[in-house]
Amino acid sequence: MWSRGWLAALLLVVSPRGAEAAEVPIPGNERAVEVHGFVSPGFIVTTSNNYLAKSRRGSFEFTEVGINFTVPITDKLRSGVQLFARDLGPTDNYTPRADWFYLDYRFEDWLGFRAGRVKIPFGLYNDSSDVDAARVPILLPQSLYSINSRDFLLAQTGAELYGRVRTRGLGALEYRIYGGTIFLDIASQTTVSAQVTNLDVPYVAGQRLMWETPIEGLRAGASLQALRLDADVRLPDRPPVSLGIPAVLWVGSAEYALHDLLLSAEYSRWVARLESNDAVVAPPMRAVSERAYAMASYRINEWFQPGAYYSLYYPDVKRRSGREAMQHDVAATLRFDINHNWLVKLEGHFMSGTAMLSADLNDGRSPAQLDRNWGVFLVKTTAHF
Amino acid sequence: MRVLEHAARLLLLALVALLVSRGEVSAEPAAPAFVVIVHPENPANALERSFVAEAFLKKTTRWPDGGVIKPVDLPPTSATRDRFTRDVLKRSVAAVKSYWQQIIFSGRDVPPAELSSDEAVVQYVLTHRGAIGYVSGSARLGDAKTVSVR
Repeated sequence: MWSRGWLAALLLVVSPRGAEAAEVPIPGNERAVEVHGFVSPGFIVTTSNNYLAKSRRGSFEFTEVGINFTVPITDKLRSGVQLFARDLGPTDNYTPRADWFYLDYRFEDWLGFRAGRVKIPFGLYNDSSDVDAARVPILLPQSLYSINSRDFLLAQTGAELYGRVRTRGLGALEYRIYGGTIFLDIASQTTVSAQVTNLDVPYVAGQRLMWETPIEGLRAGASLQALRLDADVRLPDRPPVSLGIPAVLWVGSAEYALHDLLLSAEYSRWVARLESNDAVVAPPMRAVSERAYAMASYRINEWFQPGAYYSLYYPDVKRRSGREAMQHDVAATLRFDINHNWLVKLEGHFMSGTAMLSADLNDGRSPAQLDRNWGVFLVKTTAHF
Repeated sequence: MRVLEHAARLLLLALVALLVSRGEVSAEPAAPAFVVIVHPENPANALERSFVAEAFLKKTTRWPDGGVIKPVDLPPTSATRDRFTRDVLKRSVAAVKSYWQQIIFSGRDVPPAELSSDEAVVQYVLTHRGAIGYVSGSARLGDAKTVSVR
């Protein structure tokens, strides 16, 4: 599969037509289908601890492929679908899925309606977090945009109201309000120590409000999301346990993007409760996690753009000591745009803490047993059109 | 001394004539780096820079009379697009491309049509009532209407 990803990337870039949008707008031909796509193969290696994949020995299981089709049906009505597949360590293995699909009716700029499977607006970058070409870092700050939470946080099946309102002298307000459910793949949630036999998200609902301030390039906002996850889990030598996890997530965001400079910072807390029918196996609990980052990038010239960020994550704000109770991440990226449709990135991380590591990838060793300080190095190349 | 002054004036005139003949100094006012054009029936004579920027980022999709705005771009390699993007959108072309990557792959919209030449942009603007485009200052505009950007 890896070689197929490379082959597709090569074809996109080498083909003389590959470097252009697939749909060439012709005057009078405004209802044409627009096609866009990307292929992003990557490599990850860590100095110790396995992260996302069996990374200690180096892993090429770090690839995404996507293609989308958008059709303007009328001036106000649009439809689209994106097919997506990825390989991330032991998960997905290029299983294709409909990443999003929708009908979008925009009455006016201040009021639009989407229905279908739509990306969840949470923070600045959640709805574009799987698009490598849209950002500088290979890994967005994982405290907030965890690649492992993609199934839970990326898209919901339901409806959304959105719009943008200009205010005289005060900039503009952009809002998105949504509600629906999330269909999860049971197999992808099963671990070595637990088998998930039923998984359901009865609801997910939320909003994002962004204020585009009168200062050119500066926007700030807040996102709020509530959801509930119900699961039946079978543990070895135990009767099945029914779990319920209601959660509320919020994030405050600020971004300054002007000319070639991009600065952003976000702060978030996720409040989750655990309910169960077996207090011995799964005692009820409430946890508040803390997540934050600050990020900067600057485009030096047409082909070179370095960036860096610091990200922190505490799974439980009441417990901030111990390697498994924290994750500090200092990252630096070099992005090289070979041409307008092909880029290469190099990235290094210094990690302190093991809160984002899993025992499943680390031979059953718990995060408390893993190395406290470790490094991650990544290479990724993306072809897109 | 008079002879020297006369000689200096002649030298200066010769230098100016040489530069003019090489096109480095023009007797005509320099053409602007770009001009913004709309359909001849569009009533606008001047537009706010922020309105034009939002139209090209598709944050604003309607003209004041309710008609649909149809922005049209030149290719990303175009010097005219580079200047227009920096002056009006206040970003680099690459930054705008990244913006559209976010929009395209999150399923929110698609970027403006991209045409290969000034002539194609003028033709598009002339055949679409809601169109807005930009071309180099030296382009032949035909009946397309220029609007100033404040």
